[in-house]
Amino acid sequence: MHARLIHRFLQCLLVAFCVMVTMLATDLRAADDLRAMVNALGGGNFQQSQKQVEALAKTGDPKIVPALEALSEGDLYQRKTDGTVFIVKPAGSNFMLIDALTGDTAGEEAKAALEKIKVNNGLRRTIRAALGGLTLMSPETGVRLQAANTILRTPSADALDGLDTVLAAETDGAVRAVLEKARAASVLVSDLPVDEKKAAVATVVETGGRDSLSLLSSALATADESLRPDIEAGIKQIEDRQALWAAGQNIWYGLSLGSVLLLAAIGLAITFGVMGIINMAHGEMVMLGAYTTFVVQQIIRTSFPGLFDWSLAIALPLAFIVTGVVGLAIERGIIRFLYGRPLETLLATWGVSLILQQAVRSIFGPTNQEVGNPSWMSGAFDLGGMTITWNRMWIIVFSLAVFAFLLFLLKKTPMGLQMRAVTQNRRMASSMGIKTPWVDALTFALGSGIAGIAGVALSQIDNVSPNLGQGYIIDSFIVVVFGGVGNLWGTLVGAFTLGILNKFLEPYAGAVLGKILVLVLIILFIQKRPRGLFALKGRAVEA
Amino acid sequence: MITSFVLKALDRNIVWVTALLLVIAALVPALNLMTAPDHPLHIPTYIVSLFGKYLTYALLALALDLVWGFCGILSLGHAAFFALGGYAMGMYLMRQIGARGSYGNPLLPDFMVFLNWKELPLFWHGFDMFWFAALMAVLVPGLLAFVFGWFAFRSRVNGVYLSIITQAMTFALLLAFFRNDMGFGGNNGLTDFKDILGYSIQSNGTRSALFAASAIALALSLVITSGIVRSKYGKVLIGVRDAESRTRFLGYRVEHMKLFAFTVSAMMAGVAGALYVPQVGIINPGEFEPANSIEVVIWTAVGGRGTLIGPIVGAILVNGGKSIFTAAFPEFWLFALGGLFVLVTLFLPKGIVGTARQVIERRRDYHKARQAEAARALAAEPQAAE
Amino acid sequence: MNTLASNAKPTSILYLDGVSVSFDGFKALNSLSFVIEPGELRAIIGPNGAGKTTMMDIITGKTRPDEGEVFFKGAVDLTQKDEAEIAQLGIGRKFQKPTVFESHTVWDNLELALNRKRGVFSTLFYRLTAEDKARIEEILSTVRLTNRKDDYAANLSHGQKQWLEIGMLLAQEPELLLVDEPVAGMTDAETTETALLLKEIAKTRSVVVVEHDMGFIRDLGVKVTCLAEGSVLAEGSIDFVSADPKVIENYLGR
Repeated sequence: MHARLIHRFLQCLLVAFCVMVTMLATDLRAADDLRAMVNALGGGNFQQSQKQVEALAKTGDPKIVPALEALSEGDLYQRKTDGTVFIVKPAGSNFMLIDALTGDTAGEEAKAALEKIKVNNGLRRTIRAALGGLTLMSPETGVRLQAANTILRTPSADALDGLDTVLAAETDGAVRAVLEKARAASVLVSDLPVDEKKAAVATVVETGGRDSLSLLSSALATADESLRPDIEAGIKQIEDRQALWAAGQNIWYGLSLGSVLLLAAIGLAITFGVMGIINMAHGEMVMLGAYTTFVVQQIIRTSFPGLFDWSLAIALPLAFIVTGVVGLAIERGIIRFLYGRPLETLLATWGVSLILQQAVRSIFGPTNQEVGNPSWMSGAFDLGGMTITWNRMWIIVFSLAVFAFLLFLLKKTPMGLQMRAVTQNRRMASSMGIKTPWVDALTFALGSGIAGIAGVALSQIDNVSPNLGQGYIIDSFIVVVFGGVGNLWGTLVGAFTLGILNKFLEPYAGAVLGKILVLVLIILFIQKRPRGLFALKGRAVEA
Repeated sequence: MITSFVLKALDRNIVWVTALLLVIAALVPALNLMTAPDHPLHIPTYIVSLFGKYLTYALLALALDLVWGFCGILSLGHAAFFALGGYAMGMYLMRQIGARGSYGNPLLPDFMVFLNWKELPLFWHGFDMFWFAALMAVLVPGLLAFVFGWFAFRSRVNGVYLSIITQAMTFALLLAFFRNDMGFGGNNGLTDFKDILGYSIQSNGTRSALFAASAIALALSLVITSGIVRSKYGKVLIGVRDAESRTRFLGYRVEHMKLFAFTVSAMMAGVAGALYVPQVGIINPGEFEPANSIEVVIWTAVGGRGTLIGPIVGAILVNGGKSIFTAAFPEFWLFALGGLFVLVTLFLPKGIVGTARQVIERRRDYHKARQAEAARALAAEPQAAE
Repeated sequence: MNTLASNAKPTSILYLDGVSVSFDGFKALNSLSFVIEPGELRAIIGPNGAGKTTMMDIITGKTRPDEGEVFFKGAVDLTQKDEAEIAQLGIGRKFQKPTVFESHTVWDNLELALNRKRGVFSTLFYRLTAEDKARIEEILSTVRLTNRKDDYAANLSHGQKQWLEIGMLLAQEPELLLVDEPVAGMTDAETTETALLLKEIAKTRSVVVVEHDMGFIRDLGVKVTCLAEGSVLAEGSIDFVSADPKVIENYLGR
């Protein structure tokens, strides 16, 4: 009995001692530098290393980040002689040693003198989580955001406490959003009550995105019955929203294609639509506009590099003039002899297009020319779930501006009035003192000039080569015919309808088949309405 | 019925050209095969093949003349019918390769083996038989033209609109045939042919036979086309070209008239394509290029549309010129071709044959007028004397 | 809408009731109604834009009416047929501007117009019979073009082209003939002859003549319908119509 008592006492003593020792050790650790802990990473098995990493993470000291990163990369080595741990870089046959904490170089050592600290995927995961926690404290928003994303990718119940602390302190909106999502993700893998998990699901659904979807699907696999409907509904909600954004993105692509079609076709809407001239060299006018841009940029690159951002603004009027003059020459030299013979005009202008193509090929060579984007045309921004590139954006704006300009020119200016007069009744216009040949020439030059400035815009998104124009000619004619000849609004609606139709068919049919389908649809459409969407009706047209 | 049709077809010029074609169909192969290579009259095989190719082009231009020259339909998609005929023949030639392909598959052409196809697609069946392929070379273009024309003419798509949708048609086919999963060899098309009807496609004899076949097909088509345009139907066709509404109000179904001409023309183009492919040894989607169809138009225009003989002359002249030009100054061919388009439309709208005919007719009229005047003067003389 | 006694329908050769059509909001015909009896020669007058040509377009199937009935011989609904069918039914039309096949000879023009089978294959294998030859000769003499039968139509004078077109209509053997301004651009002598020719033709069929030339209408001496703004303004003898104050205000203006 007495002996038993003593035994009890001894036990208590032992416990007390142990407690004391543990406390002492904690104190020591807190007091000591991190070096010992880093050094302790070496030597043990994976479980021990993992514990060490977790312990290091608890210190919250950003100084250990390089060491942990190096460990994860397999660049952390222990010196066999004294057990010190270094980050190493290969230097010839030796290793260059880098102090694990300060980042200073610490001489070289033979490879054989060092032992690699082994790392496996489990350990890497721990490291990533630990790093996430550490970098979350970083004063730099970018670093914090990255860290938050890291946690989001590897949610764990253990991270919850840390996240709560960080969240309380975080002020940046973007980082907060990711952190909240990461927290929700962590809740989902924890064993917290269902109610909290439901809230977490709601949070994840709220943020949307592809990662949310995979988060929820993996949660679905392990979730218990009561949570399942919530997650399933959430997944559906996200998918619906994504489909909506995808449709939005498609419409955007369609608008973008439509603006390109509009640019290519709008000059044709004048020469073909208003004057009834089939100008097969129209595509080459676009091509000449693009080459004008190229030449302007070449000159700027070699002589005035500072003006590069202005290159397009400089190229626009030049392209208009160059192609306008070429158009004027074609009209005066060829087309005016062929009025009233549309099929012959088609053939002659086709000949002109061959000559222009070969001329450009002879001067600039057959290869693609490099036309750069000014800074304000490069890059992209996000709009909800869509990505919008600046060059596409500006081209849409530009095409609409050109359209508005042309509409204004035709409807509100004396020149436009004369043009319309000549189109409607040539003889009457002529007897009223309008110089019809002059108006013809100017109208054709205007149509060509517009094609030229379209070329400036298209040089930003297409390959600038002698064949540039050929790719647009059929499409442009189709747009004008589809929209209704002689009607600018028809061209606008036609271009955007075809653009969007094309982009919506593409996901189902593929790009090429989609285009074929559009062509077939157009051919069928022209059968139904030979005069296009916005057709003029009545006796005058039929005559 | 048929004899009167043929008799009407044979005016003096047509007889001359037909006879000439039949003579060279016999003479050229004879000079190629029966003379020694160093004989002064020997025609080398490459020339035989080259001119054989020109003859198929001439047939294509003749086909276009039927619709453009006589009916006013400017088709910018005739190369599509030509190419379809070519593909039909190409499929037969592919099947003839059999196990001699690089993959040695007895049933599947090389490109299908390469694409990991396990069996022959349905539409490739039957093409191992020559008669079937030959039939398809005519029927497929004919059917396409019939369906396309039925829609287009019924809804009265006219003039440049029609030209543009025919161009869209060939463009759509171009895109379609570029696709590997269409089953026509995609980008590379069909090539590496070995033999036709059991004869090696490379041999002089086969080449000569193909030349003769092309010349005979052209002669035959010329007689048929001439018969068509000289019949009452042909007169209606010209009526449609010049005054479509008048024809309608006389009770003719303009769409049927156009449809028949368009379909016959497409079939002739298909025959031309089928004869073309074994002589050049390849068919690929490039044949569907809209530019090709427009080139056919210029051959026809150079020779003179609406003259039947003109397109034949034009096709041979322009292509001969192209061969010479591209060998001597490759840089300048497109300038020359482009210039040709411009000059012919501006200064020679009736083409070579059309202009020549006009000159002859004018001279004849002038002589007639001179004679009539002389006769009048003679009759008036006694009165004046009184 | 029914402004006509429908009992006129079964016996008439041409029956229009409440026909309206508009182009882009412009009403070209506004509830137009009239009846032509078999064997009748009728003159139609009216200012420009009264809808005369549109009316012809509707009768011959070129334009579809938005509403209204058009019947041929009381039973055939013309709004359901196209130009070729209507022509084959026996309605001939002469255009305002003479429209003949300029690159064909006068003879070929008439041969094409002959009322024979008009299908692709019947024309492809057509042979000129003695009967057809005689018919063409007959028409040639009627329209006074016998000595020009081998000339291209392009080389005819304006008046001769008008006559050739009338000859082509005769060859078509129509029961109803619509003639749009047959004497526009003709000399006085030609005009008088044309009036005789039309009266001759009207003996065997119904003829509707649209004309501006009041003298010519007087020469014809038939019932006159005056159109204005797409509907009938007045109908009756030339003296009755030209005395109508509405007609004077709208058309004659004197």
